[in-house]
Amino acid sequence: MKTYIRIFVCPLLLLCVAIPIHAQTRSIISNLANPAIGMSALFLGQAAPNLTSPGSTGPGFQEAEISLISTVDPLWTLAGNFTFDAGSGVAEEAFAISDSIPNVQIKVGEFRAAFGKHGTLHTHAFPFIQAPVIMSNTLGEEGYKNAGIEAGWMTPLPWYCELTLGAYRQSESSPDHPLNFNGGSMDNIPYLVHLKNLIDVDDDTTFELGGSALTGMGDDGFHHAVYGADLTFRNIPLRQSNQRGWILQGEYLRKVSFDQTAANFETDGWYGSFQYRWGQEWWSGFRVEEAFNSVSDISDNPTDTSLSGHVQRASVNIAWLPSEFSEMKLEYGLAKADNPVDGSTQFDNRVMLQFNYIIGFHPPHAY
Amino acid sequence: MKKIIRLIAVSLSLGIAPPALADLKVATALEDLASVAQFVGGKHVTATSLCKGYQDPHFVPAKPSLMKAIQNADVFISVGLELDGGWLPLVIPGSRNPKIQPGAKGFIDASEEVNVLEKPTGTVSRAEGDIHPLGNPHYYVDPANLEVVADHLARIFSELDSDNADEYKTNAKAFDEKMEESIKGWEAQLKPFAGTPIVVFHENFIYFTTRFGLKIFGTVEPKPGIPPSPRYLTDTAQAMKTAGVKVVLYQPYYDADAAQQLAKKADGTAFEIPTEVGGVPQAKDVFSKFDFIVSTLVKSFSTK
Repeated sequence: MKTYIRIFVCPLLLLCVAIPIHAQTRSIISNLANPAIGMSALFLGQAAPNLTSPGSTGPGFQEAEISLISTVDPLWTLAGNFTFDAGSGVAEEAFAISDSIPNVQIKVGEFRAAFGKHGTLHTHAFPFIQAPVIMSNTLGEEGYKNAGIEAGWMTPLPWYCELTLGAYRQSESSPDHPLNFNGGSMDNIPYLVHLKNLIDVDDDTTFELGGSALTGMGDDGFHHAVYGADLTFRNIPLRQSNQRGWILQGEYLRKVSFDQTAANFETDGWYGSFQYRWGQEWWSGFRVEEAFNSVSDISDNPTDTSLSGHVQRASVNIAWLPSEFSEMKLEYGLAKADNPVDGSTQFDNRVMLQFNYIIGFHPPHAY
Repeated sequence: MKKIIRLIAVSLSLGIAPPALADLKVATALEDLASVAQFVGGKHVTATSLCKGYQDPHFVPAKPSLMKAIQNADVFISVGLELDGGWLPLVIPGSRNPKIQPGAKGFIDASEEVNVLEKPTGTVSRAEGDIHPLGNPHYYVDPANLEVVADHLARIFSELDSDNADEYKTNAKAFDEKMEESIKGWEAQLKPFAGTPIVVFHENFIYFTTRFGLKIFGTVEPKPGIPPSPRYLTDTAQAMKTAGVKVVLYQPYYDADAAQQLAKKADGTAFEIPTEVGGVPQAKDVFSKFDFIVSTLVKSFSTK
């Protein structure tokens, strides 16, 4: 416990002796006393033969997110994201960032952990309407969100190589957060290690390779952990950066539990996707994925037939972006689930149409 | 665990950049700013731009390698007026370089003290496209504005590197004098064509046309950031024919097909003109950039 305290107190102490910065009012985010405010909204319509419950098909309000960001003082920037759906509103993220320690970025608050690739995305930035099945089985459909502190160190290696260490609050598992980190002892600090490498293959193309591990003690006496690896090739022609390009990406995640005597495999899975931009306003995408021992129900409706077990899915979409601030995405997904318990095979054959809008300020999406 | 902590602590200390010495490592959001910084800084400055001249400065991909490139910069010069707002808010914090964070002495907004044109009045709305709410940010296409930038940079460089302050001021003065002479030459070349209307791809040429007495008839884009429809191109071409407008200008990062289609429909010609240094191979610095722009315009007006 003392060791863990030293690990995370040291960056904070370094912050206190950081190079003094003269306070000025100018900021690249907002030059005013008010924070920069933005809102995104998602509207989704879907239809599938297996979705038979009232309200499970047809158009609907999926989610809205209000984001605020502003400079607090020379040391800190504060950001918050508040999401709303038809039934509720939550403070999804509220965190402060500091870049005052050379080569280190500190993040404190409630936020998505820096795990892998898809787990760091907000819903409105998902490349495919449905998140990969493996996400719901491991970190949660929208990544691992919890209160904690992260320190991301840009190493002195000649390529972009970032090592992130994170420590989070104890938390129980839930349908949105399948990881049991609710072990109540003072020694239980769920922690993350994430390594991200990005190399410029040429002016237009990058290669990214990452690895992540997130672990903590559950209230069942076991350690629970998720391990992940991700690989991305991305091409953005410099001369046509908002007109052409493609992204080839794959990610693998594995969830386990272990104690001193045994290790238990729980679930794993992967996805591979290719997205192609063929005009300023047009994107297409194709994804295949597989999840083993899947426990989440991808029908997304508790009263319809559950699709779990060994799940395979292929998705294809086309998106029209008349501007940077609106998007219409048409997606088709065909999923097959082999249930090992009763031996049944279920299909989810789904068409979806999503409308995505942004108003106000919106920070650039991560590369 | 103790060994790991010691290793991390040692690596952190290695990663911390040394205090800025007499030489300044300057990074910029635009080649033009790097060019001016290099003139002002002389041998005491190494200036590089994250955005290449043939890249659209609105849409630079915020690659982590850009963050890496400025990890140890002493100065970062932003274009300002939110031109780089689509990527800089990721790249600057991602660099983890406290010397160049907004508010630090090493962060420079080059648009300060520039006379900004086209500041929106009344309601500002994206119904007008991807507008710039603080005014037109393409001020660097007026060579006289670069004198203002040069003087600004000389002041900041002098504060950061007082040992060479006199040299920075001398260099800035020399830059201003050379620019004044060059402006006279460019004005003389374009004077016979004063009032000539042109069509530009995007609303990024107003500073040049205001300086040199040309007129902007319209744009290839119906609104900023919105690609032209075939109907819009046809209607615009018809209007150009009626008004006798023959010249369409576009930058290397825009859709050349759309510009050429418009010019053809209007019985005119489309010309690739850089608005940024490095946009074409001949535009090696701010002086040769304007040399190229002016000579291309003179040629286009003379052959219509």
